[in-house]
Amino acid sequence: MSLYAYCLGDDIKLEMIGSSGVAEAPVYLIDTRGLAAVVSDFDGAMVPVNRGAVLSHERVVASILAATTPLPFRFGTLVSQEKLESYVESNFEKLLLQLNRVRGSVEMSVKIIWRPEKKDDEGAERASIVSAETGPGSRFLMAKRRELEESESLKEHGEEIASWLASIVECCVRESVVQVRPGGSLALSAAHLVERHRLEEYRHRVSAGLAERIALRFLTSGPWPPYSFCDLSG
Amino acid sequence: MTDILDDFDENELSLLETFDHVLSRGLVISGQITISVAGVDLIYLGLNVLLSSVETIKEILLSREEAHAEISAIGSAANQLQKPE
Repeated sequence: MSLYAYCLGDDIKLEMIGSSGVAEAPVYLIDTRGLAAVVSDFDGAMVPVNRGAVLSHERVVASILAATTPLPFRFGTLVSQEKLESYVESNFEKLLLQLNRVRGSVEMSVKIIWRPEKKDDEGAERASIVSAETGPGSRFLMAKRRELEESESLKEHGEEIASWLASIVECCVRESVVQVRPGGSLALSAAHLVERHRLEEYRHRVSAGLAERIALRFLTSGPWPPYSFCDLSG
Repeated sequence: MTDILDDFDENELSLLETFDHVLSRGLVISGQITISVAGVDLIYLGLNVLLSSVETIKEILLSREEAHAEISAIGSAANQLQKPE
């Protein structure tokens, strides 16, 4: 039997937990030097990645977020009680620093997706003429060059969007974690740590900003527990 | 012209965002992460396109493989990746 760990904090109370845990298990607290870890019992060696388990994890953490800001564990954290207590003991100061870092704040997420653009007909025509006149080696190198140019252009565009987004929200964001071109169709993925009393202002500023950039698609979400602001390595 | 977000309704996007947050971020207790790819449902596979979290799972599994040499378990789980729940 392992413990499934959801989150921890220094002011979590059992009555804040409004939901059963993964596999419908009852959720309880384990206190180590005043830091309470929210856990449930888990029978098995692995947690399946499926909708039910992920939503159960998120519901437990979200119910606590409604009352206070915890440090969330990554989904799927299975641990023995001894290991958990040892983890809290050995990282006690760092965990307190992280809790103070996020106290009174929540994470808000902005993802910006490239809109598919129309192909440049003139460019395509030019490329086909060149293709007919050159050998396979030259065509390969030219394709590579076009690929690099496009990549460089997208990178510059992503960085410009990141600067623009930062300028919009800087007055109401405590910290940011921003990835430019993290992969796929994403131009940018940003996590903002926003104090609860500034959430309305943040939402208003982001909404107004979105209207300025109709050429982009935005995916905004939150409030989340501070998943992106739980780095103990620093 | 279609947009990648047009493929998802609001509930699906909300679920994708939840997956993205809980799977790739948060406190990690070294050596204790155990995630199975068996039973991954189809909407989760959509993350590969939109949110890249499948890459995170692969990284976690690789770390686990290195740490525990559980190659056979990984292979078995990977074989089930295509199966919906």
